[in-house]
Amino acid sequence: MAVNPFTMTVLVLIYLAATLVIGYLGYKKTKSSEDYLVAGRCSHPVLIALSYGATFISTSAIIGFGGQAANLGMGLIWLTVLNIGIGILLAFIMFGKKTREIGHRLSAVTFPDLMCKIYKSPMLQYISGFIIVISMPLYTAAILIGGARFIQPTLNISYEGSLILFAVITAIYVVFGGLIAVMYTDAFQGTIMFIGMTVLLVLSYIAVGGITAGNTALTNMANLVPKALADQGMTGWTTMPSLGSPIWFTLVTTIVLGVGIGVLAQPQLVVRFMTAKDNKSLNRAILIGGPFILMMTGVAFTVGALTNVYFFQTSGQLAITAAGGNVDAIMPLFINQAMPDIFVVVFLLTLLAAAMSTLSALYHAMGTALVCDLWGRGRECALSLRHHQYGIIVMMVLSTLLAYLLPISIIARATAMFMGLCAAAFLPAFAVGVYAKVPVTKAALYSMISGAVIWFAWTAFIHVAESKPLGLCQAIFGKASLLPLPWSVVDPIVIALPISMIVMVVMQLQYSKKQPAAPAPAA
Amino acid sequence: MLLGIPDPQILIGYGLAVGLALACIVYGYLYWNEEEKTNGS
Repeated sequence: MAVNPFTMTVLVLIYLAATLVIGYLGYKKTKSSEDYLVAGRCSHPVLIALSYGATFISTSAIIGFGGQAANLGMGLIWLTVLNIGIGILLAFIMFGKKTREIGHRLSAVTFPDLMCKIYKSPMLQYISGFIIVISMPLYTAAILIGGARFIQPTLNISYEGSLILFAVITAIYVVFGGLIAVMYTDAFQGTIMFIGMTVLLVLSYIAVGGITAGNTALTNMANLVPKALADQGMTGWTTMPSLGSPIWFTLVTTIVLGVGIGVLAQPQLVVRFMTAKDNKSLNRAILIGGPFILMMTGVAFTVGALTNVYFFQTSGQLAITAAGGNVDAIMPLFINQAMPDIFVVVFLLTLLAAAMSTLSALYHAMGTALVCDLWGRGRECALSLRHHQYGIIVMMVLSTLLAYLLPISIIARATAMFMGLCAAAFLPAFAVGVYAKVPVTKAALYSMISGAVIWFAWTAFIHVAESKPLGLCQAIFGKASLLPLPWSVVDPIVIALPISMIVMVVMQLQYSKKQPAAPAPAA
Repeated sequence: MLLGIPDPQILIGYGLAVGLALACIVYGYLYWNEEEKTNGS
């Protein structure tokens, strides 16, 4: 890369300054705890759409899953289908409106608080808060790594330095400005992301000779699929893997289903619904959200696969080989080598924006969960701005430490793990909670606990992609997985979510007639 | 083979992704001024 370091530094500083100024505007508008926690419940539709989209899409989607597309091919486009169909349409229409209405009526300020108030169970608030505080740092660390991997070579600073820089700058405006500052900056960052990804798509196809020529070249590389991948079912980069093969299970169950469904019950996204003034705001947000997600994940997965054509034409190597075997390094390497200098800067800003928008939301969700839902639940400090600021700082430090410890090629895996756990633990209780006339507390408790426990057990003892590096199964039973193929490649969400769903539905049906209907709280 | 992609499963994926994004635009336009319902759970 030959970008002038001075130009790069100036543009990055301008971006960071603009972000901090916008965050300051959010800080000035933050007058109460409700402003800090749910942005005053009167956010503009454009803010909701861009904040939801920018929070949804992080460096994990662009760097981690873009790299996975380079490895596994264009089949990842099915994740985009679920991202839009489930993550936008279903989420906003089926869940968003009900969540907004109930959140307003019950004055809920966090996702665990919403669950507590729907089911009238402090225990649910503790459990969901605990799951967030334990699992969200993993996802946060993955996003930190994604951003740092690009910043490190681009700004020529150490990996550790780029991690800390990233973490601290984002935390500044979250700590002081709360959710209003987060949503303002999300909208700014979402706009940069949309521009950056649009330019990336156009320039990538130009780099490989056009749409049909580029795709055809990729199709013709099918005979170059590494033997290790071919043996596991990979057939090429423009074809789906063989049905039922290990790679098919990884692609379909972990990546497409795990992430595609997991998005429905992510606490940091559910809170966005509670910031809307009315349902009209959510409808209008859908109009922007769908095309935004298409241009984020659709472009990342397409360009990710096409990087193979570029690297093969320029160096005779596959993308994964050119990146030294690190999936997470493929997209940054492609941008640095294939894109004009000025776009390297634009894409750096796009990645910074993607990472910061998601990071800020996660810091906010983790910090408020730690203070409002765990440590300060039921106490006066649960709504204290000062204590929430401390909570955000604590979780920021923990996530950054975790980012140092995680291995390479972890971004997409950590993202899928977090989303899978969210879906298995939260989704059934959340879905029934917002729709049932008599939500059964016991059903939600058992569903949440069974989803989380089964997800963990399958992750630690069956799903070899996680059980092997974790080493728990090996230490106790002397082998990496307790079950043979295909079970050892079936993602935990495929097992844990149906079970927690069955537990929820069966117990809801069994006890709903016994549990008296709770009187509706005053509006 | 359409646009250099031989597998219908991939092509259908792209078609659905674009189609759903368009559906979001249409839904947002049609329900731009949706009346508020007053029911709750």
